[in-house]
Amino acid sequence: MKELQELAAKLLADGAVQVVLGYEEGPRGVRPAFITDPAQAGRLVFDARCVQNLATYLNPRRQHIVQLGKPAVVVKGCDARAIAGLVRERQIARESVVVIAVRCGGVLQRPEENAALSSETTAVRCAGCDAREPRLYDYILGELPPDPPVNASRAEQIAMLEKMTPAQRKGFWDEELSRCILCHACREACPMCFCVQCTAERALPQWIDPSPTLHASRAWQMMRVLHQAGRCVDCLECERACPEDIPLGLFARYISGAVEKRFGYKACDDPAAPAPLGVFSTEDGEEFIR
Amino acid sequence: MTQRFLSHADLAALVAAHRRVIAPVRAKDDARQTDYLPIRALADAALGAALPRRSLKEFFLPPTEVLLSYRQTKEGVEIKEVPTQAQPQVILFASPCDAAALEVVDKVMDWEYRDELWFGRREATTIVGLLCSSMDSSCFCSAIGLGPDSPRGSDVLLTPVEGGYLAQVITPKGEALLAHCAAREASAAAVAQAETARQQARKKVENNAPAIPDGFAAWLEENFDHPVWRTMALRCHGCGACAGVCPTCHCFDIVDEHDSSDEGVRRRNWDSCQTAKFTLQASGHNPRQGQSERFRQRIQHKFSIYPKRFGEILCTGCGRCCRVCAGGMDLPEILGGLIALAKKGQGESGQ
Amino acid sequence: MNIYQPHLMRIVEITDETVDTRTLKLEFKAPAMAREFQFCAGQFGEYSAFGEGESTFCIASSPTRQGYIECSFKSTGKVTQALRRLGVGDTVGFRGPYGNHFPIEEMKGHSVVFIAGGIGLAPVRCAIWNVLDLRDQYKDVTIVYGARTVGDLVYKRELEEWSRRADLRLCLAVDPGGETPDWKGEVARIPTAVEKAVTTAEDTYAVICGPPIMIKFTLPVLAKLGFAAERIYTTLENRMKCGLGKCGRCNIGATYVCKDGPVFTAAEMGRMPQEF
Repeated sequence: MKELQELAAKLLADGAVQVVLGYEEGPRGVRPAFITDPAQAGRLVFDARCVQNLATYLNPRRQHIVQLGKPAVVVKGCDARAIAGLVRERQIARESVVVIAVRCGGVLQRPEENAALSSETTAVRCAGCDAREPRLYDYILGELPPDPPVNASRAEQIAMLEKMTPAQRKGFWDEELSRCILCHACREACPMCFCVQCTAERALPQWIDPSPTLHASRAWQMMRVLHQAGRCVDCLECERACPEDIPLGLFARYISGAVEKRFGYKACDDPAAPAPLGVFSTEDGEEFIR
Repeated sequence: MTQRFLSHADLAALVAAHRRVIAPVRAKDDARQTDYLPIRALADAALGAALPRRSLKEFFLPPTEVLLSYRQTKEGVEIKEVPTQAQPQVILFASPCDAAALEVVDKVMDWEYRDELWFGRREATTIVGLLCSSMDSSCFCSAIGLGPDSPRGSDVLLTPVEGGYLAQVITPKGEALLAHCAAREASAAAVAQAETARQQARKKVENNAPAIPDGFAAWLEENFDHPVWRTMALRCHGCGACAGVCPTCHCFDIVDEHDSSDEGVRRRNWDSCQTAKFTLQASGHNPRQGQSERFRQRIQHKFSIYPKRFGEILCTGCGRCCRVCAGGMDLPEILGGLIALAKKGQGESGQ
Repeated sequence: MNIYQPHLMRIVEITDETVDTRTLKLEFKAPAMAREFQFCAGQFGEYSAFGEGESTFCIASSPTRQGYIECSFKSTGKVTQALRRLGVGDTVGFRGPYGNHFPIEEMKGHSVVFIAGGIGLAPVRCAIWNVLDLRDQYKDVTIVYGARTVGDLVYKRELEEWSRRADLRLCLAVDPGGETPDWKGEVARIPTAVEKAVTTAEDTYAVICGPPIMIKFTLPVLAKLGFAAERIYTTLENRMKCGLGKCGRCNIGATYVCKDGPVFTAAEMGRMPQEF
């Protein structure tokens, strides 16, 4: 994408940023790129294989990236929600990052297969996308493509789970979580999991057992999902990162839907929009606080 | 290495004759994937499918296992030992990269102190390997000095031929396994067929990655402070998913857990040098502060430290780390870059 | 035998060295272990507070004294805080002895200088008593020990005992500002105290243990005095779990602190990657 490559080269050459976080071709398909040399900007690509949410790399804990200098980051409209979240929660200052938004026509569920977008191949995270025209950006590139085909499989799965009895649902999750090894890849890939010390890693007190047993895996997932309520940007990086193919995206989708139903709030790319569990006002409708 | 012929029926009978047989099985959540799971009949096993998502490691070093249980009493503490003898089992259609990994890890598990939990299971297990047919571009077993036909770690190695399998008996345990089944001597045709299959398999992977050269372990040690480490792991999330799926990663944590106020267990759990808290000291000091240092440790441990201490590379080229990495880290690419640097003879002063 | 299974020990005595440092005197519950247990000065163990976990401490008592072992620790984390909640008569677990040891044999016939700071006296103390219990096999013995304040000095009873012995030279120091009105010792940091107290490196070994910054500034003083890096011994700590070389946690490059250490010469440390 020439527009993107030229912009990146210019920003680096001018010294406006010291590193551009984008996407490049790797041995196994598209992967995150860290371009520090304007002459290397030609490595940047943008297409339907660019699934990663690069906002995760803005986490101030990642010292070896912070050391590179001021970043520009290539985002899709959905990824920009994570940047808004990091700004909203005071993890980064808005002016500390240059946001290069690219108009996106959907990404692939399995980018390594590099198929054409269809209702089967489109990523489940694209269903219900309302960030087609990014609103958080310093630069905006690309033409707005047509709506991506809808992959309804995730919505269907949630509908199926909602129809189940609690016992059936528990059976479903016990089966899926039996593979969880508590590697915490879901947490590390999540842009909104930025705590320096995760609650799960505390020894004093020890809130949940660290050993990968079913009860600990359940406790871990429930805790993480609840900590994400109202904050999760629904990018489904957690699911993509899981080495055991556990459909963690179902939790992400479900909790976002629940927050929308109860508080009329969806994670958005406006840093000033108050998150329901992050802001208190006397006009809040909930009875339990009165 | 005696070579025998096992028909499909022979193998099915062998499976039926053993109480616990583990083999690759199609995953319930994704039919494209397989997992090593217990089977009841040969028909349950998935053949010619993807490399199982997890390695064989968990059958010898489970993700979590109890080391002892304790009980507080008025007189003090009682400890209950755990048994170190394991149930006999057969692992069928083990991938050669997974079988070889077990012998590699044996070395550290026997380093002065013999880990009876590991060896109890090792001794109780017979491994029947299968010529690999599920290689893809992430595999690099031949670069490590192994290959899709490597007998390393297997007690019997099977190669598919017409009507069944050519079985190479590699160890006395393998001999004992086949002793009760109707395996016949292999025909010359079967032997030739098998050799062709092995050659074809080797061709599919031999160009995936450059071979690890002599002196690479020493170069890594000498270039511990090379600037290349600083930018190698920018994409890495430090999640340790790679360590979970890796057949040779064996690092573990030891923790106590209460079942009640008086009773509990001490467990050993999988852990990974990639996590931030792996080397975090109580004082708050962490010798490996950032992901660059932690990723360097991964490479150094596998390709320099373990070879130096045990004479083995702590990797069998299965490629799982590459397949699961959410950050797009690619070990053959990283190794290729380091090998190129090593060959150029670039040291600390080099670029 | 499961190598991860600890021996059961009974706490027979508790000494509070400072506000946050405690010494436990432990006896093996199994009589056979009590009779037969052997170790060398410098080795360490994994001590269990059952239900909370294990923690790594050197064995702080001398191998010349049979029937018990001692350990000293600061309450910094989950396990050490749990150990602190135990009383005399309670049960502790012990796995060990692990690691290598000080060159007690090699030092025979030579002089030894022991240098320690703060709780760093614990690993050195086992070597000091080992040498003092065999006093006539060594030439001159010098001990230089200091802490930030008088309150931070550990093993105060033994410091008292050592100060009254004629067969060793004891130099005690506290940092400037750490002295009390009746303090009779030096007011100086360890590197300065060493400069005053140690006059020759001839035929002498140095055993030094303390906070990294203390070691960093004392090694040049020793080098200036003429100590060879191969004759300066120290101990390294790293986060440990198994203590016996399998869990992959404590290595510094190709050196495993639990197997190749915890005792290292300054020369060996100089050859390690600086990742500690």
